Amino acid sequence: MFHWLEKHPFFFAVGVFLVISFAGLIEVVPSFADKSRPVIGTKPYSTLELAGRHVYIKNSCNACHSQLIRPFKSETDRYGHYSLSGEYAYDRPFLWGSKRTGPDLHRVGNYRTTDWHENHMLNPPSVVAGSIMPAYPWMFTNKANVDTAYAEQLTIAQFFSVPYNKAVPMKDGSTKVVKMGSTLADAHALALAEAKVIAADMKNQDVKDAVAAGNIPEIVALIAYLNSLK
Amino acid sequence: MGIAELQGYGYVALTSLLVLILYGYIYHLYTKKRDSDGHDYEEYSNMALRDDIDDAPVSAISDDKEK
Amino acid sequence: MENRPLEYDYTVAKMFMFATIALGIVGMLVGVILAFELAFPGVNTILGSGVAEYTNFSRLRPLHTDAIIFGFTLSGIFATWYYVGQRVLKVSMAESGLLMFLGKLHFWLYLVIVASVVVTLLAGITTSKEYAEFEWPIDIAVVIVWVVWGMSIFGLIGIRREKSLYISMWYYIATFLGIAMLYVFNNMEIPTILGTNGIGESGFGDWWHSVSMYAGANDAMVQWWYGHNAVAFGLTVPIVAMIYYFLPKESGQAIYSYKLSLLSFWGLMFVYIWAGGHHLIYSTIPDWVQTMASVFSVILILPSWGSAINMLLTMKGEWQQVASSPLIKFMVLGSTFYMFSTLEGPIQAIKSVNAIAHFTDWIVGHVHDGTLGWVGFMIMASLFHMAPRVFKREIYSKSLMATQFWIQTLGVVLYFTSMWIAGITQGMMWRAHDEFGNLAYSFIDTVTVLHPYYTIRAVGGTLYLVGFLLFSYNIYKTMSARPVEESELQNASPMGA
Repeated sequence: MFHWLEKHPFFFAVGVFLVISFAGLIEVVPSFADKSRPVIGTKPYSTLELAGRHVYIKNSCNACHSQLIRPFKSETDRYGHYSLSGEYAYDRPFLWGSKRTGPDLHRVGNYRTTDWHENHMLNPPSVVAGSIMPAYPWMFTNKANVDTAYAEQLTIAQFFSVPYNKAVPMKDGSTKVVKMGSTLADAHALALAEAKVIAADMKNQDVKDAVAAGNIPEIVALIAYLNSLK
Repeated sequence: MGIAELQGYGYVALTSLLVLILYGYIYHLYTKKRDSDGHDYEEYSNMALRDDIDDAPVSAISDDKEK
Repeated sequence: MENRPLEYDYTVAKMFMFATIALGIVGMLVGVILAFELAFPGVNTILGSGVAEYTNFSRLRPLHTDAIIFGFTLSGIFATWYYVGQRVLKVSMAESGLLMFLGKLHFWLYLVIVASVVVTLLAGITTSKEYAEFEWPIDIAVVIVWVVWGMSIFGLIGIRREKSLYISMWYYIATFLGIAMLYVFNNMEIPTILGTNGIGESGFGDWWHSVSMYAGANDAMVQWWYGHNAVAFGLTVPIVAMIYYFLPKESGQAIYSYKLSLLSFWGLMFVYIWAGGHHLIYSTIPDWVQTMASVFSVILILPSWGSAINMLLTMKGEWQQVASSPLIKFMVLGSTFYMFSTLEGPIQAIKSVNAIAHFTDWIVGHVHDGTLGWVGFMIMASLFHMAPRVFKREIYSKSLMATQFWIQTLGVVLYFTSMWIAGITQGMMWRAHDEFGNLAYSFIDTVTVLHPYYTIRAVGGTLYLVGFLLFSYNIYKTMSARPVEESELQNASPMGA
């Protein structure tokens, strides 16, 4: 009975496939049935934040920084409240990371400022003595990709019903609306308005000039994203 | 009965079945020692040791066709 | 043609052997650069600040992992498949024009993908999911290459002379199926050019960009179901296929227990996939999944050790070969590292240990004692065994091979010991509190303390790379020497001084 499989490669392959797919069916599939719902206070990323998230991914920040605070006292002391599943409802892909060469960033927006990030990204040891993080000067000149961020917003709104232009409940009982441009030009205008707020807190004159001229450097988008992590 | 409960029963039933099959397989291998073609399982090691193109196969496909 | 006796045709195996060596050098070199960047951050701008974007740690890191897993290891798997497959099925690729064509197509398509991966990763085009960084156009190409490989596997099986499939074949088939399933499901994504706005416009932004079908915790669960089992079906299952063929063949000893090898196979197939969740212990995925992953990780010791012990016992009564042949040394130490790393993994998957080990360098150490000690050693040993038979020459230098063995063994030992100390040190410092219940160390304290260990690791990695360069040189000299062997070789590979 058992021997038969060994001489019938096709059925052997079917057998192997059944055995290896079993675990996935049991472990992974059920959680999709009740997919993670956003907790109160979690809102979709704005156009600029999403462009910043793309900068974060482009430079593999997740290779060294986690975004997952485990429920231990030492971690909640250091980084804030432990992470909840619903907080990641709009994270595609997830950015939990697997290695903390640098500290966790899940709530970095609570305790770091635009000014801090600006100095840090240009020269990390100037802010954190002994830091082994490399500098990212090209983020101050490369332009953020607002077009792609807009395309992604449209895609997730269309395929996954992410609530753009809709009221989202916040922790204090109020509601907030995250706007998405109705046209590409509109999306650029929204992103630029946000960028101007960030640039006002920055010192780098080239960045300020670029934003004033309607261009958004990567660093501005990245800081918008990091500030949104709370 | 919800989907989760159904999955639970399905999981237990399938796992028990696979465990039974695995132990059946172990029992079969170590009591019979030979497969249904009459080859001792250990002979199959020779598939690696005598693998020149003109070595005789342990159980040739052509045997089937002659039967 | 009619006058010549039928021979195995190693054309495709040879092509993949070259790819294995070339991509091994690239992947390991990048790894060494990364190791030095962590020890000495100045190395990040080693080629000047103008190109720092491309020599920076974060940009190179995915290139290292992918070059090793999908470059070095995967081409090693393909090279051995095109060698072992023919032999245990007793059929030559020369017998089928179609299979020959598929084999070559497989190789060239594979190279095209490798080239596009290198370019896109350096440019920062990535989905960020570990070992699945490629964007959707490359994913589609990967699926095509995989199907071509599948056709070549089942095509060869279709015209075989040996009715029963040797145990190595089982593992190769499992590799093919496992990776196919994992890769397809983890890379489900929607290209963002499809995003359409209110007035019907679409196609904004980069056409290659996509967004994952899964969000947040679901995405994490699918990713580590994939990530862990990419290790299973990329770095374990096919390497077991290699050792089940090459160790018995090189030593001339039959497998200690063929029955045990069959049992371990089914055990491994069933248990391995469950363990993926151990990458997410104490995260926000359901608790029962975490516990299940932890339990199955411990059970996984059984089938893993079943294979490893089977291999070591194969050498029973023939241990003098370990002393006399460097090739056997590689394989025996390889299976020892396999045992070691399959014991270490389950220990790290125990919840209380994981609380300390997760996110630290101990995990990096664990990965590397598996990949350097087990995967790397086995692939090099396989290529050493194949070289005299494929090129019909004796191995250029036995003493060079022995030198390489000791240099690399020292490299691996330096690597994992330093990473153990680094990982446990950092894990303990993160959680240390002072007498008032405040955190005892700031984060940067836990980074600067690692400097000596990062330096030792970089030295260990360099030693391994040096060993690999010796290996490449040895193979190069082997293939360019004058032919000596006329007939097919039996067991022990012939070696020059």
